[in-house]
Amino acid sequence: MIARAARQLALVLALALLPALVSGAIQLQWRKDEPLAPGEVRAATVRMWGENVQWVDARTRAKYERTHIPGALLLNEDEWAKLVGPFLDAWDADKTLVVYCDGGSCDASQAVAERIRNELKIGGVHVLKGGWAAWEGK
Amino acid sequence: MSLRGLAILISLLLLTFRASAGLQWDKPLQQLQRTPADGAVEARFTFRNVGSAPVTIRTLRSSCGCTTARLEKKIYAPGEAGEVVARFFFGDRTGAQRKTIEVRTDEAAAEPVVLDLRVHIHDPLTITPALVFWKRGEPGAAKTVQLTAAADQRVRIKSVTSSNPRVTAKLETIKGGEQYAVSVQPVDTTQKESAEISVQTDFPTDAPRIYIIHARVK
Repeated sequence: MIARAARQLALVLALALLPALVSGAIQLQWRKDEPLAPGEVRAATVRMWGENVQWVDARTRAKYERTHIPGALLLNEDEWAKLVGPFLDAWDADKTLVVYCDGGSCDASQAVAERIRNELKIGGVHVLKGGWAAWEGK
Repeated sequence: MSLRGLAILISLLLLTFRASAGLQWDKPLQQLQRTPADGAVEARFTFRNVGSAPVTIRTLRSSCGCTTARLEKKIYAPGEAGEVVARFFFGDRTGAQRKTIEVRTDEAAAEPVVLDLRVHIHDPLTITPALVFWKRGEPGAAKTVQLTAAADQRVRIKSVTSSNPRVTAKLETIKGGEQYAVSVQPVDTTQKESAEISVQTDFPTDAPRIYIIHARVK
């Protein structure tokens, strides 16, 4: 009786384990190979670009003041009118712009990159895939 | 496998496919039209618990710090209605905006629901491009910026003024109230220059707006 119950339990667990393993494998693979959206770039690629990069922080002023990527310029849509002048003063036309925000579901970096391209007509603007979290290696 | 074992197995499988749509949303996508002067917009996303068990809303996550989401309470009994009130603060945003709010509940098998707020913030005047720049040493030829009023709007440009005497700005009326051009030119490009060119409009009449064209010699 006990042996039969144990067999049935093992069978149920095995049945549950199989989809869990498949799902886990798919998710890990997805995380690894998540495709880049147009204009996006991975942190590893930006690191390879070295000194030729100008970081643009599209997060809030409070977050920027707490911490930011060294050398990053603050430019967000909450204070665009106030920030765009100082941003352009510091901007180096020979450097590639890489915009970042928090990561996850944050869309501020895409919005700021789009305004730099469309309003200021500055080309070669990228968005950091995964944002701040990706930069920190999380 | 005995009948009882099979029943246990089926129950377990059914548990994983538990009703995933306890909350039914009336309009998860809302599209609104506003102007920059409005400053903010509020959208109400109403829902009803159509399931047979209470549903707890665990988290509301906004895609932007500019958008808040508020809920009167967290637990909704079967048949009970509620609403998520989203408030989007424009800041200096214009044009097509999309802000989302991800709603997660305690329903084990339920995917998070994404509430979608799309707002078009109509700017009465478009400036293209908002930046003109020259590299040091390149010929300092004049560059033209186009000012275009929105189709349903008449915006008159009263004046343009440069903040830097070494960068000049000249206004040309192409079609009054609709289309203008500003010709921007540095005196020379031997040194770095920075100028903000103020474009004074007559719109809106109670507080006429000033737009800025940025000019740089880098």
